[in-house]
Amino acid sequence: MRPSRAAYPMRWRVMDSLERIAGLLWPRSFSAGLPYLMLLPALLLVGVLVWGLVEIGDSSLRTLDTSTFLMSENYTLANYQRALNERFFTTVAGRSLMGSLIVTVITLVFAFPYSYLMVRTPSSALRKFLLVALFLPFFIGQVVRAYGWLIILGNQGMVNEALGLVGVSPIRLLYNYPAVLFGLVQYMLPFAVLMLAPAMTAIPAELESAASSLGANWISTFRHIVLPLSKPGLVGAGLVVFTLSLTDFAIPAILGGGSQDFIANAIYDQFFRTSDQGMGATLSLLLVAVGSILVGLVFMVFGAGTLAMGGDRK
Amino acid sequence: MSNEKFLSAQIKRRTLLQSMAAVGAAAGASTLGLNRAFAQEPEKPAEIIVRAWGGSWVDALKAGVSDSFTKATGIAVRHDLTEDNEIQPKVWAAVAQKRVPPIHINWDTTTNATKSALRGVTEDLSDLPNLKNTTELSKPVGLDGYPIVNTYGYVYVLAFRPEAFPNGAPKSWKDLLDPKLKGRIALYNDGIGFHFPAQVAGGGKLEDIPGNMQPAWDFITKIKAQQPLLGEDPDFTTWFQRGEIDAACTISTNAREAKKNGISIDWVVPEEGAKFDTDGLWIPKGLPENELYWAKQYINHALTKEAQQVWLDGLGLPGVVPGLTPPADLVGDPSYPTTDEDFKHLIRISTKVQVENESQWFAKFKEIMQG
Repeated sequence: MRPSRAAYPMRWRVMDSLERIAGLLWPRSFSAGLPYLMLLPALLLVGVLVWGLVEIGDSSLRTLDTSTFLMSENYTLANYQRALNERFFTTVAGRSLMGSLIVTVITLVFAFPYSYLMVRTPSSALRKFLLVALFLPFFIGQVVRAYGWLIILGNQGMVNEALGLVGVSPIRLLYNYPAVLFGLVQYMLPFAVLMLAPAMTAIPAELESAASSLGANWISTFRHIVLPLSKPGLVGAGLVVFTLSLTDFAIPAILGGGSQDFIANAIYDQFFRTSDQGMGATLSLLLVAVGSILVGLVFMVFGAGTLAMGGDRK
Repeated sequence: MSNEKFLSAQIKRRTLLQSMAAVGAAAGASTLGLNRAFAQEPEKPAEIIVRAWGGSWVDALKAGVSDSFTKATGIAVRHDLTEDNEIQPKVWAAVAQKRVPPIHINWDTTTNATKSALRGVTEDLSDLPNLKNTTELSKPVGLDGYPIVNTYGYVYVLAFRPEAFPNGAPKSWKDLLDPKLKGRIALYNDGIGFHFPAQVAGGGKLEDIPGNMQPAWDFITKIKAQQPLLGEDPDFTTWFQRGEIDAACTISTNAREAKKNGISIDWVVPEEGAKFDTDGLWIPKGLPENELYWAKQYINHALTKEAQQVWLDGLGLPGVVPGLTPPADLVGDPSYPTTDEDFKHLIRISTKVQVENESQWFAKFKEIMQG
């Protein structure tokens, strides 16, 4: 008896064919290797980055010959000695690290209540408003935002004009270290909120209700419930804000008035202003190393589990 | 048959246009120095890419050189506004990897261009016919042949807002140390243009450059206490316009452009002198033969009196072809030197010395300013 076509439809046959082809290309005996195959694109990407780092490492060991503007053939640690001994580089590195730390702390302080309100508010209108206010800056690039601050905070800007109305003469609000930190905090705030919000969403609201019903006031609840359970978000947001601030170029360049350089500005100068690719490569590698060590330290102190990446939570 | 009818019959519109085009092309070709038979000319590229500075700089180049080159040859000119410092590594990498470079012609500072020449990435331009009509200024000092052709000179003047100097224009770079100017002065962010006058203002001698520049660093340290703003060409105009600064060490072209835009600004060459330098045009190695030919023709055209006059009227700078007429507003201006007497007040340091020491000077300036 001829089998009914409806009993074994065409699309099943197609699927069977595809399965057979897949079986030929990747036999069942290889199934244990499937996760590694899925890793391949990521490995390739990381491989390209590592290859780039190796090239940069090679450049960092060569010095610039200013009679030919070619890199030296022989390897030397001269660039590293300069980077660690010259006052300009140590000043800029210190300013970048300290600035990133200050920006991270201030940003987290501002981002925490914002995230908490956004997650806990019963008003959907307020939540939407906070979300829009959060995402709007993402549509405006960093450079445009920095130029916006030039218009607002300049000597003839809106703030000084407002001060002028009450008889205060113009104040220099731009082109100094606080202006750079201010610009960075404003730029980093959305990143921190976006990292904190999921961690706060994961805290059951019932825990806070239970604490309250057991007599804990708002401060105790915050200290013993909300803050400890927000740790994964705080650590993640802190890492993102710190590393982005440490490597930022545009805000120090635009709001710093040329005298508040961060490491990225110094790297740019070496590559493009003095044509010294070796020194630029050295500073780049040192920046990667310092950033990686600090991230590693955070993982050691707080544990990778704080970022909900598995492992033991501490 | 009347004359009128005869003319209308013989000279049709298309014929007239063709004739005019032919005359125009012939005149243009003559201007370009293209006296070879057209049959011998290599194939024309669709366009030539010239790296240029933006704003009034590229407008002047377009009006003076590019448009007339296109009119004469039919080759379009595209201006690539990538920063000079940023195009340099791209060109160097292209030449090292034997790729076709991203531009045909680089409009560059002579110091930067000399670095490229020392690296061996520039084509020799000694065979440009119009070079014979230029002054000594067109020849790069300390290099064999013409890996670069200097096309004009410029002065780093002391630009100032007259309202901030009610007792008259500043006479010395030391006037920048006036306490009332604290936070109100600006320099280039690598100190370019300021190192040499600072050497004199600091009590040193130009002959001691580069061996002993301590007087310059001492003076720059004093300037640092004045909390100067540090920026690039466009920043100076913006800062003057927004009332952020009262004085700056900048190229006279920027000050003149700001003045044209209605900003109250004037400039002087202080008693210690002001740095005089040159810019030039060069061609990177690795271009196809025909494109190299036409790139050379572009530079050759830039050295004609007609092109120089229009180009440099726009920039307000003295060219390398004798007999150019200064713009009316710059006649007798110290930033537009034309005589030996004018040059006595300007500071010229050999390009070789500058190229070899520039990195150290930039680093020292940064060290002082970032401290």
